[in-house]
Amino acid sequence: MRPMARKVLTQQVAPERVGTAVRKHKVEGYALFWGAPLAVWQLVFFVAPLVFLVVMTFWTVSNFRLAPDFDTVNWVNMFSKGYVIDTYFRTLGYGALAAVMCSVLAFPASYALAFKASPVAQRIGLFMLITPFFTSYLVRIYSWQAVVAENGVLNGLFDLVGLGPFTILGTLLGTMIGYITLTLPLVILLQFFSLSGVDRNLVEAAQNLGCGRLRTVFLVIVPLAKTGIILAGTFAFILCFGDLVSPTSLGSSKPPTLSILIVDTVKQGNNWPRAAVVALVMVLTLIVVAFTAIFFAYRVKKEKI
Amino acid sequence: MSEALLVLDKVVKRFGEHTAVNGVDLQISQGEFLAIMGPSGCGKTTTLRMIAGLEEPSEGEIRLNGKRINELKPWQRDTPLVWQNLALFPHLSVLKNVEFGLKMRNVAARERRERAMNWLERMDLHAYAGRNITQLSGGERQRVAIARALVTEPEILLLDEPLSALDAHLRIRMQSEITQLQKQLGITFAYVTHNQSEAFAMASRVAIMSDGLIQQIGSPREVYRAPANHFVAEFVGSNNILTGTVVALDGDRATVDTAHGKFNVPVPDPAPIKGDTLELVVSADLIAISDSAGEYENVIAGELISEEFIGSVITLYLDIGDGTVFRVQKQQHELDALDYASGRKLFASWQGKDTYVLPR
Amino acid sequence: MSTDRLIAYALRGWFFIALIFIFVPIIINFIFSFSPERFPTLPLGGFSTGWYELILSEAPVPRAFGNSMKAGVIVALISTFIGFAAAYTDYRYRFLGKNFYLALALLPPTIPVLILGLVMLMFLSRVSLVGELYSVVLAHVVYCIPFAMALIRLRLAQMDPNLESAAWNLGANSWRAMREVILPFTLPSIFAALALTMAVSFDEYMIAFFVGGVTETLPVRVLALLQGQVSPRINAIGSVVFTISMSLVILSQILLLSRRSGERNVAAGGK
Repeated sequence: MRPMARKVLTQQVAPERVGTAVRKHKVEGYALFWGAPLAVWQLVFFVAPLVFLVVMTFWTVSNFRLAPDFDTVNWVNMFSKGYVIDTYFRTLGYGALAAVMCSVLAFPASYALAFKASPVAQRIGLFMLITPFFTSYLVRIYSWQAVVAENGVLNGLFDLVGLGPFTILGTLLGTMIGYITLTLPLVILLQFFSLSGVDRNLVEAAQNLGCGRLRTVFLVIVPLAKTGIILAGTFAFILCFGDLVSPTSLGSSKPPTLSILIVDTVKQGNNWPRAAVVALVMVLTLIVVAFTAIFFAYRVKKEKI
Repeated sequence: MSEALLVLDKVVKRFGEHTAVNGVDLQISQGEFLAIMGPSGCGKTTTLRMIAGLEEPSEGEIRLNGKRINELKPWQRDTPLVWQNLALFPHLSVLKNVEFGLKMRNVAARERRERAMNWLERMDLHAYAGRNITQLSGGERQRVAIARALVTEPEILLLDEPLSALDAHLRIRMQSEITQLQKQLGITFAYVTHNQSEAFAMASRVAIMSDGLIQQIGSPREVYRAPANHFVAEFVGSNNILTGTVVALDGDRATVDTAHGKFNVPVPDPAPIKGDTLELVVSADLIAISDSAGEYENVIAGELISEEFIGSVITLYLDIGDGTVFRVQKQQHELDALDYASGRKLFASWQGKDTYVLPR
Repeated sequence: MSTDRLIAYALRGWFFIALIFIFVPIIINFIFSFSPERFPTLPLGGFSTGWYELILSEAPVPRAFGNSMKAGVIVALISTFIGFAAAYTDYRYRFLGKNFYLALALLPPTIPVLILGLVMLMFLSRVSLVGELYSVVLAHVVYCIPFAMALIRLRLAQMDPNLESAAWNLGANSWRAMREVILPFTLPSIFAALALTMAVSFDEYMIAFFVGGVTETLPVRVLALLQGQVSPRINAIGSVVFTISMSLVILSQILLLSRRSGERNVAAGGK
């Protein structure tokens, strides 16, 4: 039965498919009714605010009052400050570190789910991963605070075996624990979807040709699943790059990340234009990262012969 | 004489750069079973979809009962389709599936139910009325799809390779069921398929399509024995095609010289002159085979390459020189006396009158 | 035990450790919410529902909860409708600029919530739409549409590509075909989208913080409390939030799984 179902799904791309293009001369009301809502809503409440962000970077603040303007002072200001540049690269580094760490930590788990679990176990595993997904990240970080604090649960356990106490709060490790809390389920899921799509025949063929276990994983499986792995890492990066809660609650706000910088800029004197500059730079960075990732995720390497 | 039920008048369909249907003229009469046949991509399904209104012709006109229907939306026409993969509604029971067309025409509930049940009984499915279609077998679902299409009692029924997803056994059964149904109802059937034997078994008229054009329309026998062009000769049946020049004319016979010998063929109409090129079609089932001299006047010698068995029919493949393959089809028992083995030199021969000359 | 078995066990063990890592804060939170002490530790000194009673009595919390629920429901309805419309448009039509159209729908999750919140605050305050519950709704819908759209689009992909045409062919016009065929088929995913978008909205803190101002949703209240002192009231609120979010997500998953296997395979005609 299943091969049949798959055949039907792929029929969708055939030219015979329903869905002739909307006629050129007039657009029927039906099409407009279904097509317009998304366009309207997103243009007004998503695109316009983003455009406004760009505009805002050129406004000025004098005497705590916001004035429409076209002045590059904010840009000059932010880029000239050493600590802003430092913060930028620090946040970039943190994000990259988190993405890599999370990807590495997630891989054995996603591998296990894709290759070492029965279909029933897989569904249960997915269920367990997806359910906490949308539960309050804030509260989970708060819980971690209690766990890794000086007199928290973790140190209590270490104490029982005569170790510690270890300082985790206020360190980079703390921030990383927070970042991993934020991204681990998503990364495992995305890696899983790619891994489970790997053709088992190829894996068997590799082993048949003498490839050992570990080599098969790195030379065959990972390249075949690279789309999901790269996308997982990219999402992890995006999430951590912009996160505020982990560095403030579990890490240290000095030295700050870009998110902390934005919040501080807004709190002190409501300097939205400057905050806008930082925000815009972040968005542009993420666009570049996303496009690069997609490029690498989907490209087919040309062999040099 | 009044116009046929459904007329396609110089219909063209383009999808961007690609022309799927390239000027089709077709007239389908009331009560006939027309099969439209051709290889994948020939435009047969697109043609059917245009009749149903699922595609709009780029050029040309489609007329139903004399009225132009190009602009009519699919739901404004009464041209129900039996889909290749059936497209039964999964969330509806068998009965509700069949009732659908009537519901869309706002027929009252009680009447729809009655009419739908009637059809289910006719299709021997009344026991399944309340069941969900997922619980039915392939053949049963096929019949539901047909009942669903016929419940509105249309003038014409369109079928798009409805049997292609069934296994061979079921297919043959459904073929005869459909043929009988059509005879009983007297409704016009337009049936698209890529399967030759299906088309020839069921239809009263067959249209052969290729590259968006109708290459030939005629009764199955006509198309089989008198192909209109090279494509049809190659596509239909099992034909050998030889090309040669006319070297002699004698009354109603001509001698044609080909790379594989000189052959005696009937003079076609219009008559050729010496030097003209003719394409000769020799149907594989009209050829005699022997290991000594040929039985009939036109003889070709060849080496046996392979044989194919389909039921009681054997097809022998001969290499008649420079790689050209010549096919001979015989009933098994006819070959009992012949000693043939791979590589053996055999003589294929046929009567002059059995050569068909392709129109130029 | 063979090496293969050892490796399999080790890998599965790793998966469990990952699950534990994911669930530890949730479980700790539940446990601590029942602590009788001001500074909970393990083992728990006793069992008390005092903190729950406390948060219910402090006005800002029930009010924030009410706001979260109201906003959640409205966001679910609007974003599911728009998500459905977008998914259907993607399914049925090809048109110039379709990629841009899809980008509009799918980009929001790629932008950090901090920036989305900031950007919408700037914009909405400029058009005086900020600080109210509807501000939160407007912004959350933008954020939730992709989730609804993805769920419904996936379901549409499972539909026999000829189903809609078959309905037209049998006399249903576009609207009727939508009502009689497409909506019934996508209904499970619509409900799943409603549940999921409500969970997303209910849980979202950053955008709501920026845009809602004095109108607080529950996560915003938590954010405010986090900046104050450590207190198990946060655990209590957290437990409530967890329970609601997880229930909605579980509901969403059940809805998606229930009818899937039955109907997908019907698409093919044979066997």
